[in-house]
Amino acid sequence: MMFNGVEIMTPILLAALGGLFAEMAGVLNIALEGLILIGAFTGILVAAATGNLAVGMLAAAVAGGVLAGLLAWVTSRLKANIFIAGLAVNLLAAGMIPFLSTWMFGTKGVLRFPDLPRMPRLLVGVHTGLPLLDDLLFGHSVTVYLAWLTAVIAAVLLYRTPFGLRLRATGARAESAVVSGVNAVRYRSIAIVVSGVAAGLAGSTISLRLGVYLPNISAGRGWIALVAIYLGYRTPMGIVIAALLFGLTDSLAGAAQGFMNIPGTILLGLPYAITVVAMILYSAIRSTKPRRRRRRIDAHF
Amino acid sequence: MSEQAMAAPRRAAGTLVAVSAAILVTVILLAIGSPNPARALTSFFWGPFSNRFFFGNMIDTFGLLILVGLGVCAAFRAGVFNLGGEGQVYIAALTTAVVALSMPAAPAPIGILAATGAAVLVAALLAGLSGLFRWAWGTDELITSFLISAALVPTVNFLIVGPLRNPDSNLMTTVRVAGQFRFLRLLPPSTLNVSVGAAVLLAVLAHGFLFSTLRGYELRMTGLNREFARYGGVAVGAYTVLPMAVSGGFHGLAGAFFVLGTHHAAIEGFTAGLGWNGIAVALIGRNHPLLIIPAALVFAYLEAGSRVAGLQTEFTFELAAIIQAVIFFLITAEIVLPRLRRGRRERSAP
Repeated sequence: MMFNGVEIMTPILLAALGGLFAEMAGVLNIALEGLILIGAFTGILVAAATGNLAVGMLAAAVAGGVLAGLLAWVTSRLKANIFIAGLAVNLLAAGMIPFLSTWMFGTKGVLRFPDLPRMPRLLVGVHTGLPLLDDLLFGHSVTVYLAWLTAVIAAVLLYRTPFGLRLRATGARAESAVVSGVNAVRYRSIAIVVSGVAAGLAGSTISLRLGVYLPNISAGRGWIALVAIYLGYRTPMGIVIAALLFGLTDSLAGAAQGFMNIPGTILLGLPYAITVVAMILYSAIRSTKPRRRRRRIDAHF
Repeated sequence: MSEQAMAAPRRAAGTLVAVSAAILVTVILLAIGSPNPARALTSFFWGPFSNRFFFGNMIDTFGLLILVGLGVCAAFRAGVFNLGGEGQVYIAALTTAVVALSMPAAPAPIGILAATGAAVLVAALLAGLSGLFRWAWGTDELITSFLISAALVPTVNFLIVGPLRNPDSNLMTTVRVAGQFRFLRLLPPSTLNVSVGAAVLLAVLAHGFLFSTLRGYELRMTGLNREFARYGGVAVGAYTVLPMAVSGGFHGLAGAFFVLGTHHAAIEGFTAGLGWNGIAVALIGRNHPLLIIPAALVFAYLEAGSRVAGLQTEFTFELAAIIQAVIFFLITAEIVLPRLRRGRRERSAP
């Protein structure tokens, strides 16, 4: 269970770490779900075409970054509303992938790539004597370690570099950042692109591990990642723990399905249910003051 | 206020550009993807007017789109965000079917009122819950409304394909509701029914409420500037919870009409896209109840066109989602037409 939980947490962790950059810059990026989906599709397509998993992941990261760049452009240059434009990304993924899939493969259903190389595993057969710790640390897909490394990099970037300081200043108080000579719009755009790159990468880890592309393969992980940012108290290490909790719950639910006889259809909603309950409990316990975000949609005409 | 006034023409241009871009993208995709582009394009543009069936269905969709558009507008106007419309319509539709099926012998007014009332109540509670969490603990209602909805949709699917399924049908559908509950059809064989009139009437009433009553004024003030409204003595807490509930209620009404007027049963996934369409309609209509009427008409036409194009050429894909995506990308943008470009450079800070 622990072993599966760690594998399941990886895409959530990657997407949440990227989303943290956006969050720190003051942007709630609700497009993560669509960006993950695009990454999953692009990643497996390119990996199958080139026979190289790393190239596939790189392509997924680029695809996520480009789409997020588009999102950053319409919100900064054209002053579009970030939530509405973010929804556009999600709907674009939901609409374009079946179109491309039909166009290229003649089906919008499951895409199998039997020749795809298997995701390599690291530290297989290493033991400490504690089974739980072994399952947590050793023998995982290389992407798991990549995600952990990303957490460390994110922590360093955000808290130990001028770039991170300026990014956080943008989110904390954009006006002050601008007065101090920080180009807030640019930092916000960079943060959105970073979240896109990470979400694209996250998507590729899902499809490449399975070796197939399924419709709606992201299955709400983008939304879970958003909530993991809050649950992790908006810190990289907190997000690692929150993502692990989601991973463990997910693998537990998978196991529970077997012996508790819950219909599989209902369980499709479980990740969303757990996420929303976690989010409500979190805010109830912390009882944060409503954060003031400019949320108004132009009501004048 | 002057910034608002300056932004108005840009935003108007944005609406025009967004709708045109959506049509353009549709044309390109149909031309690339369809084995017979000429036929696909003709069906897209002309199809909705080609016979009574397609035309009536389009006007039926128009009525439903007004309702979901009003629902989204109710929340937007108060500065809150209801992202759970998709699920709220679906759950309300199931509720309507269940209530109507549980009282097959009831007189028409009682059955219709009970089924519709239950649907509105359930959807209003679902959305209102998100408003309540926002009010009590500051939980982001945008995320919770989406998640609550997404969590419940699979359960509705399960109920329709499982315990409530009509064993005599090949479709994944419940039994059809009793004849006396079904709304009068206006243009058979299409699904157009009297509920479209109710939708238009509600848009007019919503306009009156929003712009000619104290409560409407307070709601708009809260949406424009929460702190200012609080300072002016408006109970802003109420305008967090209630608009969400009203938003859910409108979605619930759409779900009820979809069952009693359009399909006469709850079918698996049959409301898919209606919630997102509501956001598109509200944005095209600039959150203005009267403008939502033409906005719903435009969107009903786009939707009907893509449906006819899908039916008449073998190539089917999620054209509706792509149309929504293009509109969402551009609809809130301030598109600067060449003539307005001067003076924009100065404003680079957020």
